[in-house]
Amino acid sequence: MKDVPMTPAIEMKGITKYFASTQVRANEHVDFSVESGEVHALVGENGAGKTTLMNILYGLIKPDSGEIIIDSQKVQINHPDDAIRQGIGMVHQHFKLVPSFTVAQNILLGMEPSQAGFLNQQNENKLVDELARKFNLPVDPAARIWDLPVSMQQRVEILKVLERRAKILVLDEPTAVLTPQEVNELITVIRGLSKQGYTIIFITHKLIEVMSVADRVSVMRAGRMIGTKKVSETSIPELARMMVGREVLLRVKKKQVHPGEAVLDVRDISLSDVNGLAAISHVSFQVRKGEIVAIAGVSGNGQTELVEAISGMISLDGGEILFKGKSINEASVRERRELGMAHIPEDRMVVGLNLQTTLDENLIVSKYNRSEFSRYGFLLMQAISQFAEKVVKAFSIAAARPGEGIAMLSGGNLQKVVVGRELSGNPSFIIANQPTRGLDVGSIEFVHKTLVEERDKGAGVLLVSVELDEVMALSDRILVLYRGKIQGELETATATEEEVGILMAGGTLEDLKQYSEDKEQGENREVKS
Amino acid sequence: MKDGRFRKLLDAILVPLLAVLSGLVLMGILILFLRKPLFESYAVLFANGFGCREYGNCIFITALERATPIILTGLSAVVAFRSGMFSIGQEGQYLLGAAAAAWLGYAIHLPPILHALVIILAAMLVGAGYGWIPGVLKVKLGVNELLATIMLNSIAALIVEYLVQFPMRADTSAVAHSPVIDESAQLMSFLPGSKWGVGFVIAVIAVVVVYYYLWRTKPGYEQRMAGQSRKFALFGGIPSDNSAVRAMLISGALAGLAGAIEVMGVHRRIMTGFSVGLGFDGLTSAILGQVHPIGVFIVAILFSGLKLGAQIGLQLKLDIPRELGGTIIGFIVLFVAAGKFYEQSIVRARAWSTRKQGSNLKGDSG
Repeated sequence: MKDVPMTPAIEMKGITKYFASTQVRANEHVDFSVESGEVHALVGENGAGKTTLMNILYGLIKPDSGEIIIDSQKVQINHPDDAIRQGIGMVHQHFKLVPSFTVAQNILLGMEPSQAGFLNQQNENKLVDELARKFNLPVDPAARIWDLPVSMQQRVEILKVLERRAKILVLDEPTAVLTPQEVNELITVIRGLSKQGYTIIFITHKLIEVMSVADRVSVMRAGRMIGTKKVSETSIPELARMMVGREVLLRVKKKQVHPGEAVLDVRDISLSDVNGLAAISHVSFQVRKGEIVAIAGVSGNGQTELVEAISGMISLDGGEILFKGKSINEASVRERRELGMAHIPEDRMVVGLNLQTTLDENLIVSKYNRSEFSRYGFLLMQAISQFAEKVVKAFSIAAARPGEGIAMLSGGNLQKVVVGRELSGNPSFIIANQPTRGLDVGSIEFVHKTLVEERDKGAGVLLVSVELDEVMALSDRILVLYRGKIQGELETATATEEEVGILMAGGTLEDLKQYSEDKEQGENREVKS
Repeated sequence: MKDGRFRKLLDAILVPLLAVLSGLVLMGILILFLRKPLFESYAVLFANGFGCREYGNCIFITALERATPIILTGLSAVVAFRSGMFSIGQEGQYLLGAAAAAWLGYAIHLPPILHALVIILAAMLVGAGYGWIPGVLKVKLGVNELLATIMLNSIAALIVEYLVQFPMRADTSAVAHSPVIDESAQLMSFLPGSKWGVGFVIAVIAVVVVYYYLWRTKPGYEQRMAGQSRKFALFGGIPSDNSAVRAMLISGALAGLAGAIEVMGVHRRIMTGFSVGLGFDGLTSAILGQVHPIGVFIVAILFSGLKLGAQIGLQLKLDIPRELGGTIIGFIVLFVAAGKFYEQSIVRARAWSTRKQGSNLKGDSG
């Protein structure tokens, strides 16, 4: 651990922000101080107020009260332009790049060097190349953004901020979109920048990353600053407790797996994506009763199509899907659900829920046809609201009220609504697609526990996740999906993260063996010399 | 609980109410420009739109009569909009329904009541059929329903004009019109000298039925869910294509019903220039009425009253052009379109008052 100089680069004092429209106190007398040259992690559950605090710092939101001090001077930041002038740069969670422009055009957007009003592409490329070299962040200045992988796009965003002479970088959940290997690369980049004297504020809710990259960490909960700790003097359980306000089970306990017969049998299926391009080619696997099978892989390798095909939302190009021994190729979504299939979709805001309507109407979407909830074409309103009350109680969806809208609920509560709907009625097979995406520690614990309970009750679970931790913690068997094919299968009990990682990147287990042997030999040689 | 419900109702009517008030204020400015007495104008407008002259001779009754077809075309728009179909085809469906009613009114002869029932059903079928076309085009071929219904409106207007000018023409009088329909096909009115009658009762029943259909039945639920989010419907197993076509059938049937009632209860025949934009008035009242059956009911009566007040009040008594009535309605629609402005003002006003009430409100997490 390097020594941190004790001069605050930024101090935010007594920041308070009340959102009248939603009646939420997003920040309440928040004090936040970042020292020059440190990597400072800002963690907290969804809705804890981290993003609000950073948006205030970046001039996107005006606080009700409080002051911002930069380099010992009180400053007014009313607009992102002010923030940039103060040397603050922000890399947003959703990149703000022009996809059809080149890397150089994006980095120099709005500040292009021109000669008599004409742009010089070569000159721009040279400038960006120099910039990239200076920070040891190699990019191809002439490449178009839409041809670049996500990690490269993020690099462009960082360079864009550096080009604007930012000394303080705010990274909003930068690792959410990256593979494990890419996360490691980013961590190296952050350390490098910190060594060159840059100050970095790193927003996340993944505590493992906090431990590996940050010097200090500040924890927020429910709009308040709970505390700031040196990373060397804290631990993941302590941070989780600070975030949630109670003890959190970071890894759910699982009983021994006793799989039964196959509930889902996928045989040699092929699928195309919305553009008609092959998304899945000749994939076969089984999910048995009482086991959790994980589909691991970087997003965009065919997971979306695979899930849509199993749940009946798109049709197959070839192959067959058997459910409890019978072909369901021709079955509609509703018929599949009647057979006992449940589906937690990756996009809860648009696919899994209808935010424009009430809790009750969201909870019956897959069940309104049953005699419990409708008779002779009429909805049984009383039965429906009783059902809603039951689900709210069983899944302790604190903020939701039967008969009222759900648009104001937090991400965690929305996911509870989805999980509650899908798991009530004892499904025999559950597709869980990114079930904890964007959720905080407390909600993740809830979702994981619930899925394991269903498995122990004898349901087959197909977990689709891009989070390696989740795959390792939850599954019994891992299938790695790469470019629409199954790259490899592993037993979770004996698999290592390295093995899953190399398969996710398109390598094979032989590659990994080769690699570690080479490394060993290299080390041996060093020892000898 | 009660409090929440009241607040919800207030939220629903506040914006249209403010829009109407702004429209009326703007009207006052126009009247001042015309150098007419301001307060007298308002008094005349309301007296002749919503008031009663003497015992039972209420102009308000006429407003209710005029509102009848607007309520039905408004409901037609509500059913379509709530189901995610931005159909503005009410005018065409209304015209074809009216033509069918006028023809069956003199071409076939049946005992009372039965005759009327047959006509109403036939006109609804015709309207539904004309609504089915854009529905199927949308679902099967992805044709934009807005464009399709605009074109179908023009086609319907021309078809009806042709029918009135040639096959259905009764005589060689200057204004082409069809023969008067049989008495057995006419809808009864409640008061002598007024045309406010059974048609209005049908419209009120339709308001209740549409409300129950959309919010209390399975097909209504399917339509609303598919309308709000097609992806959600697909995910939940709701047959959204069927819902969309069904919505257009019902929407067309309601507009066709409006046409039949206008023929059977008011004009007793169809003539050239039958279309005075009642389909579009329905559309407007649906939007202003928050796409809700009750809202449509209120707004349709309000519109008819304002138009009447401008027509027989402002024009006859104060010599102010009656187009002013239409202008006010135009303004009101514009103000509703600017509803975001009011919403923001309301939010700001509420924030101000809550801050005043006490800054010791307990903070809750977001």
